[in-house]
Amino acid sequence: MTKTTALAIQIVTGDARPIFRQIVDGIRKEIASGTLPTGSKLPSVRGLAMQLTINANTVAKAYNELTDLGLVESKKGLGLFVTQQQCTLSEEERTQKLEQATDDFINEIISLGFSHREIIEHVQGQLQTINKQDKER
Amino acid sequence: MANYIIETRALHKRFGKKVAIQSLNLKIAQGGIHAVIGANGAGKSTLFRILLGLDAPTSGESFILGHNSQSLEPEHRGRIGYVNEEHTLPTWMKVHEVTAMQKNLYKNWRQDLYDSVIGNFNVEQSQKVSALSRGERAGLNLAMALAQAPEVLILDEPTLGLDVVAKQAFLEALMFTQADIDTTIVYCSHQMEEIERVAEQLIVIENGEMKYNECPEKFCDMVTYWIFDEALSESQLSTLGNVLSARIIDEQTHLVLADLEAAEALEKLNALGIEAATQVPVSLDKAIASILAKNHRVPQ
Repeated sequence: MTKTTALAIQIVTGDARPIFRQIVDGIRKEIASGTLPTGSKLPSVRGLAMQLTINANTVAKAYNELTDLGLVESKKGLGLFVTQQQCTLSEEERTQKLEQATDDFINEIISLGFSHREIIEHVQGQLQTINKQDKER
Repeated sequence: MANYIIETRALHKRFGKKVAIQSLNLKIAQGGIHAVIGANGAGKSTLFRILLGLDAPTSGESFILGHNSQSLEPEHRGRIGYVNEEHTLPTWMKVHEVTAMQKNLYKNWRQDLYDSVIGNFNVEQSQKVSALSRGERAGLNLAMALAQAPEVLILDEPTLGLDVVAKQAFLEALMFTQADIDTTIVYCSHQMEEIERVAEQLIVIENGEMKYNECPEKFCDMVTYWIFDEALSESQLSTLGNVLSARIIDEQTHLVLADLEAAEALEKLNALGIEAATQVPVSLDKAIASILAKNHRVPQ
């Protein structure tokens, strides 16, 4: 019998996201970051409800959504397991993350006095280094 | 009708001149935990008392487990549990005596449930009820109510005045036993944090009328908060439907709307010439507070 993977997610009340959404987002993040690798077993509905002191039906609802998203699958009588991940972020989320990171980067460097050309060349150089390292591996 | 565990039809209740409940049409489906939310004096306790047949309506009807509340037989009452906010129990009896009495009254008594719930509280069987603290009395009351394995359990502000430990024990016992015995729980509370954790369905009552009966996510979607630069006139505000509040803060308009989803609300704002409205996320407690605060608005 596979052991349950400990789930280090937190829920807060008084948040704009309902608890059900917080669970879905929390587990998606754990999967995307690799904390929950393929094949990990999620806690039982009742187990997670007890851990978080929330209604079990809320957990069941979140698990259903994760199943619909294809992130986890239920194996009859065994529990819920993390599936092989494709890209876990949607196109929209990827774009959003890229935009956020670019904004942060620009805010950091804008007052340093480099020209656009210098900045672009530097970023290009860094990207090429990553490409080379990838190939060598 | 059998699909609803509780149903009221055009229920009215007046105390002298004061209207406690008016034209209340409430339907509560079987299963799950339903929270009744309303300001003080909104009519929640009156509603519970009428449902249980402890009080008679001025007009209209109410049904519980498909039977008229006003003509419940002992057999029906045996399938209904009730825990009031005072946790009233016979103070002169010892814990084991009260429990034995209950055990005789309820044929489906589940000793295992009683034991597991009472185990969360520091209650000795030989103690006198009068010697128990408020939290311990609450625990005993809940243990006995759940051990009856009722088909419907009504709790009137059960966690009022409990400390954090007793409250946590109470809520855990409530939630996890509910799933075991598949009972329908209807309860009221003013503690939003608790409601958010526990409730699957929110029933909002205001001035004796039912305003909403929704799951928390849907309910939150129906309350939106907007900030923009333009000031709106009364006639412009009236085009937005249910305006919960409109305030000017730092020369910007802060607007809370109900009964419109974000896209619909934005469309209406655009129609008023407001192009750049910022939407602010609304939490469940804020959404409920906004709705309940509407009729407590300070005069302008």
